[in-house]
Amino acid sequence: MLKTNRKLPELCPSCSSTLQVTSLGCSSCETTVSGKFQLPALARLSPEEQEFVVNFVKSSGSLKVMAQHLGLSYPTVRNLLDDIIQKIETNEKS
Amino acid sequence: MKLSIFKHYTHIAGAKALLIGLGFIIATTIVGYYSNVHFDGALDAHSGKPSSISIHALQHLIAWVSVVLIFSLAGFILSKSRFRFIDIAGTIALARAPMLLVALIGFAPALQNAKPGEINNSIMLVTLIMIFPIIWMITLMYNAFTTSINVKGTKAVIGFIVGLILAEVLSKVLNQQFIL
Repeated sequence: MLKTNRKLPELCPSCSSTLQVTSLGCSSCETTVSGKFQLPALARLSPEEQEFVVNFVKSSGSLKVMAQHLGLSYPTVRNLLDDIIQKIETNEKS
Repeated sequence: MKLSIFKHYTHIAGAKALLIGLGFIIATTIVGYYSNVHFDGALDAHSGKPSSISIHALQHLIAWVSVVLIFSLAGFILSKSRFRFIDIAGTIALARAPMLLVALIGFAPALQNAKPGEINNSIMLVTLIMIFPIIWMITLMYNAFTTSINVKGTKAVIGFIVGLILAEVLSKVLNQQFIL
């Protein structure tokens, strides 16, 4: 398993279109599955946004707890969540 | 915690901002009472004749409440987010903190010794200095507006300008009704 913390690319570096998964491999028996698979909605978020979602789940969905944990005000945390919701909805439409 | 003099709402809002903001409003009202500075509009600060502390308090209350009411209404119209009234009330109260400087500038001899209607260079200079805290307050109000109701871009700028003009009109109407 790779120990480097590599970022999952979301957009094509050449034409900026959304990337798809075309190959999945088993590291144990080296079986390869090829096809076209959409990236899951959460995988299409930036690492910072994914970390926010993880913290949100860990906080049992409480924005107040998250705000205390992050040292941010409640509306700031709520606005970050709204931005992520909007991004997911836009990604779903595209 | 890193706090900016313009963007502290990233860290402070809600009840905490309301308590600190009300503390500033009360302090500003008391200082304004002694320096004869009246906050008789959403954006107004005038050096005038002595009045009772209750008049000063009511004027300042109207100035704050007018903005809170109009911005809350703007939130219902412009925002897709579920915003909290306490965030608007708290951040707008805190945005009025620079008015304490205006109340203190009111002690300037040029204003204290001025006769009614008198305008000279010293009065003009002090009035000019008073504009800076007011600009600071307006900047804080804009940040309070965008953070509390989560609006961005052109919608935020136009909504803020229109909202502030309406709040100024409302505060003047309320002053006419309850004070004059």
